[in-house]
Amino acid sequence: MSIKADANVQRWIATLPPIAWALRQARETLIGTLRQGPIPQHVAFEMDGNRRFAKNNHIETIEGHNMGFEALAKVLEVCYKCGVKVVTVYAFSIENFNRPKSEVSGLMKMAKLKLEQLCQHGELLDRYGAGIRVLGERDLIPDDVLPFVDRAIEMTKHNTDAVLNICFPYTSRAEMTAAIKATVDEFSMPSEPPATPFSQARITETIRSKQPKRTESSTSLREVSPDPAAKSDADDSVSSTTTLNPGSPRTEAKGKEKAIPFKDAESITVDSINNHMYTADCPPLDIFIRTSNVMRLSDFMLWQCHEDTHIFFLKCFWPEMDLWHFIPVLLEWQWRQKKEREGGSGKRLKTE
Amino acid sequence: MNPQEREELLKPYLPAAPHLREASIKRKQRSNGTASGLGVRNVLRKQFYALSFALIHAIFSVYIRIRIACHAVYLRIVSVLYHHHHTPEYIQRDVQGLSRKPKHLSVILSLEESGKRVDAKEKLISEVADIAAWCASAGIQMLSVYEKTGILKDEMQQSHREISSKLRNWFGKYQAPDLHLHSPNMPVVHPSYYSAPAHKGAGEYGIAIMLVSEEDGRESMVDLTKVLTVMAQKNKLSAADITSDVIDNELTSSVMAEPDLLISFAPYVDLQGYPPWQIRLTEIYCEQDNQSVEYQVFVNALRKYAQATFKLGK
Repeated sequence: MSIKADANVQRWIATLPPIAWALRQARETLIGTLRQGPIPQHVAFEMDGNRRFAKNNHIETIEGHNMGFEALAKVLEVCYKCGVKVVTVYAFSIENFNRPKSEVSGLMKMAKLKLEQLCQHGELLDRYGAGIRVLGERDLIPDDVLPFVDRAIEMTKHNTDAVLNICFPYTSRAEMTAAIKATVDEFSMPSEPPATPFSQARITETIRSKQPKRTESSTSLREVSPDPAAKSDADDSVSSTTTLNPGSPRTEAKGKEKAIPFKDAESITVDSINNHMYTADCPPLDIFIRTSNVMRLSDFMLWQCHEDTHIFFLKCFWPEMDLWHFIPVLLEWQWRQKKEREGGSGKRLKTE
Repeated sequence: MNPQEREELLKPYLPAAPHLREASIKRKQRSNGTASGLGVRNVLRKQFYALSFALIHAIFSVYIRIRIACHAVYLRIVSVLYHHHHTPEYIQRDVQGLSRKPKHLSVILSLEESGKRVDAKEKLISEVADIAAWCASAGIQMLSVYEKTGILKDEMQQSHREISSKLRNWFGKYQAPDLHLHSPNMPVVHPSYYSAPAHKGAGEYGIAIMLVSEEDGRESMVDLTKVLTVMAQKNKLSAADITSDVIDNELTSSVMAEPDLLISFAPYVDLQGYPPWQIRLTEIYCEQDNQSVEYQVFVNALRKYAQATFKLGK
């Protein structure tokens, strides 16, 4: 019997009213139960094995991808119902562009179709309360797919309960490179003094007018103050004192500062790079799941899989992924969290 | 399939529509005001969930303990059956049939937190020496050892002496491979008699060990960014010049290259801050529930690596 007929029989059984009701109750109970414990805030899925699943079951590749999409819908439902805030999925790698042209165009066609479907079911996505974001190299998205991407993002913008990050076309090294580039950009822009309504020149004037008149300062004051150019110069924090006391040691110190109007490169930290990652505003990655028994990260979430990320390599193919594959992972994660807390080594407490 | 059919397909998995949800919440609030029937029901439901949560976790914890015990027994039996007896020839025999072997192997070791620091370091060094001996026997010439705190990096001369003496125990005084101890930003420790690079047939029996710690991970990327920033500030480069090739080249030459295989000797995969740039396509192996550095884990990892197929871009 083919897998499709199998699935049809299964679906038919599952839609019998008493069985459907019982299944529904069991799922609700299970999810309600799991919500009692700590819940991961950010889960990443590397959806691997669609094609191998199709090959093993003698169905067409595109059918495998379709079943993969269905599996994604199921998994997202479980995640969001459990209270996961951010789900990140790997949809298309930059390396995938190296595949034969026909295959790439086929995949793009599929992406277009899926996004079109998402747009058709906009109100269904609202029920999850999930906003879509597309992470990756925007300029690599083909022109005919881009409008669909933007529409999907636009349509779900108002959903703030949860986030679905779709990595398309993405590689982690490209992400890290972009983040480093952005950090370099940020720190090599001349830093402007913040705009304020207060004028430094006015302050200087006030101070000076209150001071008992000394001969040398009053002469310099008389020379300088009527000159509008000097006044605007005095507004610049760097040279404000130059006009006040020429020849004083403070002048030299301020003069040096003027040579480097940049932010100090030494003040770059891990956080400054992290803030330029695509996932900057997402909570740290708690669980990384890769299916189809391949034990590699394959250029996905390298920076994010840092510490406290629990990596799970599952044996099932992605289209087979469902609640019953996800629950053992969640249970084991909860169990490890409890262990860590008991051991005192895991200081990180989960918000429930 | 048309949109309606697809919607039907997805319907069973969807939560209630927002307006329905709101209505039910309102209904609940109203009934709470008049009668506390639903309130009691909610409390009971909560109690029930808490109870079933405790039950599920009790069952799961029993299951996991059984699993740990089974894995421990399996490893014990296998390690008795296939013991290396400190003989390189046995290890060679074990890896003989493998279709391919990693050129660069990486391991994650962790410092024991309980007990004295000196003893813990002693244990770490002996683990490194063991793994080095296995690698040398299996013909792997590059080993990188990741240890989070970086304790292995202090007094590298001494570590070199200890690891070398262990290698001599394994291979005999004259057959022992030359050991080169590397660490990012530190001078390489060579054997004392080592003079020129072309000392022995292009290092046929040599083994290089790279000691890596947490500071070589994200921190090294921060340091690289600092350098690039200073260069950009001095107009020596523009941000557009920064490509992943430039970064790759820098990190490869100053920290280390991408390993082919990474073995974690922890009960589950925990990268502990492992250099993120270098782990891109590395095959990761972790023996589930294993607690210690075992030869059997090493062999299983090599076997799994030989089976794995590499397809860049899925």
